[in-house]
Amino acid sequence: MTAPNELTAAEAVTRLQAGSLTAEALTRACLDRAEERKSVRAWAWLDPEQALAQARIADRAGRPGLLAGLPVGIKDVIDTVDMPTEHGSPMYRGNRPISDAACVALLRMAGAVIMGKTVTTEFANRFPGATVNPHNPAHTPGGSSSGSAAAVADFQLPVGLGTQTGGSVIRPSAFCGVVGYKPSFGEFSRSGIKMQCHNLDTLGLLCRSVEDIALIRAALIAIPPRPVDRAISAPCIGICRTPAWDKADAATQRLIETTAGQLAAAGARVSDAAFAPQFANIHEHHRRIFNYEAAHNYAYEYDVHRDQVSQVLRETVLAPGRELPLAAYVEALETAEAFRAHLDDIFTDVDVLLTPSAAGEAPEGLGSTGDPSFNSIWTLGWTPCVTLPAGRGPQGLPLGIQLVGKRFADEALLDAAAWVEARLHG
Amino acid sequence: MPNIEPYRLPAATLARLIHGGEISAEAVIQSCLERIRDREPVVRAWTHLAAGAALAAARDARSRGGILGGVPFGIKDIFDSADMPTGYGSRIYTGCQPAYEASAVTLPRSAGAILLGKTVTTEFANRHPGPTMNPHNPAHTPGGSSSGSAAAVADFMVPLAIGTQTGGSVIRPAAYCGVVGFKPSFGLFPPAGMHMNTDSLDTVGIMARTVEDIALFRAALMAIPYEALTLPERPPRLALCRTMHWDRAGPEGRAVLEAAAKQLAAVGAEVIESELPAECTDISEIQRRHSAFEAPRNHAPELYRHEPLLSADLREGRIAGGRGLSLDDFRAACREADRARAAATQWASGFDAILTLPAPGPAPKGLADTGSAIFNGLWTVLQMPCLTLPIDRTADNLPVGIQLVGKRYADARLLDVGLWVERRLGARQ
Repeated sequence: MTAPNELTAAEAVTRLQAGSLTAEALTRACLDRAEERKSVRAWAWLDPEQALAQARIADRAGRPGLLAGLPVGIKDVIDTVDMPTEHGSPMYRGNRPISDAACVALLRMAGAVIMGKTVTTEFANRFPGATVNPHNPAHTPGGSSSGSAAAVADFQLPVGLGTQTGGSVIRPSAFCGVVGYKPSFGEFSRSGIKMQCHNLDTLGLLCRSVEDIALIRAALIAIPPRPVDRAISAPCIGICRTPAWDKADAATQRLIETTAGQLAAAGARVSDAAFAPQFANIHEHHRRIFNYEAAHNYAYEYDVHRDQVSQVLRETVLAPGRELPLAAYVEALETAEAFRAHLDDIFTDVDVLLTPSAAGEAPEGLGSTGDPSFNSIWTLGWTPCVTLPAGRGPQGLPLGIQLVGKRFADEALLDAAAWVEARLHG
Repeated sequence: MPNIEPYRLPAATLARLIHGGEISAEAVIQSCLERIRDREPVVRAWTHLAAGAALAAARDARSRGGILGGVPFGIKDIFDSADMPTGYGSRIYTGCQPAYEASAVTLPRSAGAILLGKTVTTEFANRHPGPTMNPHNPAHTPGGSSSGSAAAVADFMVPLAIGTQTGGSVIRPAAYCGVVGFKPSFGLFPPAGMHMNTDSLDTVGIMARTVEDIALFRAALMAIPYEALTLPERPPRLALCRTMHWDRAGPEGRAVLEAAAKQLAAVGAEVIESELPAECTDISEIQRRHSAFEAPRNHAPELYRHEPLLSADLREGRIAGGRGLSLDDFRAACREADRARAAATQWASGFDAILTLPAPGPAPKGLADTGSAIFNGLWTVLQMPCLTLPIDRTADNLPVGIQLVGKRYADARLLDVGLWVERRLGARQ
């Protein structure tokens, strides 16, 4: 029998609701695993008694709600009223927000146990936190949702919240070998999440199955749950190598080609999908919006507490963002809008796009969390994305494949992802 | 030094006098504080006044640097401030102290401005009103949700103030109080630290008493170099747009708009009657759906812990309305908004600005209702820059203004046109 901490969220909720598992036992199993595996350093805040107290309350109340006492970890750029929120920065050490973020309150309303806060890079940007890759501690877990990815991969937690402005949900999920999901822009409330880039920041999920996404998504949007449809007919899949293709290593390029072949053999109609030539430099437009908006949204940090902001953030993001001419930013906003319309057009021919989740395996070293090139375009495109674990690379670390859906067709993307998942591992 | 109380001077003049050493920043702050002391018991524009800190900042020599060196400003209490309490106009958060401050607090300070305090907002920048009155006639609403900012600027308590607009919360109170109000293109002023009302609509906006002050304040809020406004080389081409809601406009509002159109034509502007494209027909309904759908989600923290402390207005209005909408309703509204924006952008490229109403008319009587946003919500959804200018007064001494709207992202050009119009129509202060 699977240990409780190894259950997926959907499996755990089934047992919690049936009464064959208590929230306390599940939470304790996760806490025990976290204690045993402290060396992963996934947590920014974890108070076992605080988590267990919530679990006991859920148990006493009969485990109500869609999530019935399921533990969820919260990336530490998301406000929690009863736990510190430090944004991965010494500037906010011990910070106690005056309210929960909307997503945290929605999880509580659905009966979740808020287990603790997971490590983020500094302000969900690039200066890394302490977390290591649970598969090999010499390698980065990816970022910025480092702790959520590592904790979920390491069975310390069934579900973690993350945020993505460049590639901060999908990339760490792929590096750690878990399922990651970034919804269509605008569907998950961002209230109470530290604002980095208002045109890019997207709340996302890190978990261990496609069903888990459907479940948590219902709680976060406060809509009735819609189970993943596993009986869909074979989808039309576009292979999208993207303008970043040359950045992918050989193993990743091969993975995409072989996966496409496998899925075609399983009945999917597979074709090539490419961006129109005017979007060849779409990464540059993402970079402009990223730098410009971060430089203005982090005004308090940059202008008032500059000595507490990392040099890498100051020099590679905030200073260039302040210097970028307004006209260049506006041009990027307008290009992004045209790009989104272009993506809608691409989805008239295919149901989902198949593309790398990252350039390769998690790189060695903890100094950099890796390259977001295969993610930032979709963050800019506001499209829903799922990454699925897809075997191991030459260094023995996880690889992922990414599926991208049409904006606001998140349900269809999850159905297609389940179809793909079944063929990859079936 | 002009022979006039400093509190009456616009920000650009104050900045120049302070920079030139003709007046001290401290004297300016003192003057505004005295004005507030005299008038606040009636107007009730402020939730928190940081008199000591503002004076200390003014005595600091550094406050003479920057494009707004030593100039005081106020900010709506919907923005987080690290050194002043933040209450969001809600009983739930009264007296709370956030750990960080909104970019809209920091950036003017970085430009040398001095934050005088926090101004009254309706509950969470929604409809449930605060205590503020219209300074021109205390029996009337100042409008909302940026009630305190509009009233404080109108009443010469402070030359500059910041508000937010999700429906009509900058332009409408500015018009009701007779000040210049500006809502930029969506997203051009950084939103960090603004309490979220409706993510897809919330826009930081500003108020002042001249168009030049708006341009100066805008540069500070965007951390961009200040370039003086330039009058258009030839008289502007204006679309006179009565909108699909013309039947909701009152006689004073209509009369002021029609008269302004005639006067501007008389001084050389090309005024063409033009209505929004067909894709924009349902734009006000789109606005309603956006803000309703987000309400029960964004207010989840309050609904979870403090539901009885929310006003009935909010619970039975937007929150209940949002619960009645499906995700697909919201998605359809997003898609319709995209189409409407594309059509409106094309339409607006044919003009230097659109001339329209900022509100149905003067501020309604009573403080219980902040007035209708029907002439604002559409432009908020369309993400277009908006500028309201005071034009006239009613027999009850209430201001009536006009609204100029620009093509999205052509904010600087809108202000140039605004300056041209301001010079010709010269508001009666």
